[in-house]
Amino acid sequence: MSAPTMSRSDRDGLARRPWRGTVREYDLFKELTVALVVVGLVIVGLSAIVGSPDEPSVTLKSWAQAQPADFVATATAELGGTSETAGYGPPYNTTADATQTIGAFDLQSFSGVQLPIDTAKDIVITPLTTLNAPPSAALDTWNAASDTEKADWTAAYTDALTNAPDGDPAQVATGDYGPVPVLTDALLTMASQGALDGVLNAQQSFYNADYTRTILFLGDGAYFGDLATAAHLTGDQWGMMNETGNTPGQSWLWLFSFWYQIEPFASAPNADLLVVLLMLVLSVLLTLVPFIPGLRDIPRWIPIHRLIWRDYYKKRAAGRG
Amino acid sequence: MHPLISYFAAQDSPGIYLGFGAFQIQLGNLIVILVMILLFVLALFLPFPSGKKRP
Repeated sequence: MSAPTMSRSDRDGLARRPWRGTVREYDLFKELTVALVVVGLVIVGLSAIVGSPDEPSVTLKSWAQAQPADFVATATAELGGTSETAGYGPPYNTTADATQTIGAFDLQSFSGVQLPIDTAKDIVITPLTTLNAPPSAALDTWNAASDTEKADWTAAYTDALTNAPDGDPAQVATGDYGPVPVLTDALLTMASQGALDGVLNAQQSFYNADYTRTILFLGDGAYFGDLATAAHLTGDQWGMMNETGNTPGQSWLWLFSFWYQIEPFASAPNADLLVVLLMLVLSVLLTLVPFIPGLRDIPRWIPIHRLIWRDYYKKRAAGRG
Repeated sequence: MHPLISYFAAQDSPGIYLGFGAFQIQLGNLIVILVMILLFVLALFLPFPSGKKRP
């Protein structure tokens, strides 16, 4: 007669054996109370002293008021389709060769264009049409122009802004810029008064928490990036694990951030893709530690657990001796 | 409030960054990491609390 088949975990009947080790009183209620009260007091005490960062929001209004020249230069790039957003590729548009790839592996294109954005129309032209007194003549001229005319106007105005003292639109040399100066100036006025923030965010619905366009527009300018650099929040400044000021940030993201600081990742054009895939591989390795010879033997080579449960191992050794 | 505490508590403080070259660390992050390491070492060496033994 063959022995009854047992599952691997129950082969030695471990779960059915009575406990023969030491026992002691354990008051779950006391532990819960102490944990809640002590941790609660620590949290309330610390938050009274240090609190959480409460930086004022960066808005299109604050940008237009702080650096109008950068705002106008960026608005011109949005009109001409030469901004970073306009050339980003999926999920915003279909710009060729814009995605990060490894050979033929093009993760960014998998999603397709989910949030189509025509920077000229969505960020400049449509918001201007919502004004009570829109610059109608300039808008009509723009809408009637050919793509070549639009590209020539914006390129010429971009060059003129670059050559103007401090990029000041008021000091731009005379030239053929079409309706571009009028449009960007109207957008600057609209933003300075705080009207653009609401209009850009509320293009799709009455209640809106979608700040995509605002953030993309902000990100295309130099102002937002300079603020991030000053606060050590950019990728080459370990930004992923920092908070503003002295507040501790997401320090557990150090490994993610680490790769961006070293070669070949630091200068790779597809660094995001490389780092994401590397972290994926490392995470899978960590998950599969029990199945990987060598890795799973590390606790045997460096028996830290024997240090933690030294009493148990001492008693066990004594019992054997 | 103590001047040191008020400095750390200032919301608009630019933050203190330590290190050199590519290696930079914000003081707040460094403190959190050091405290985590300290707690780990304490957990290794402090004995388990011995509660009341059942008679």
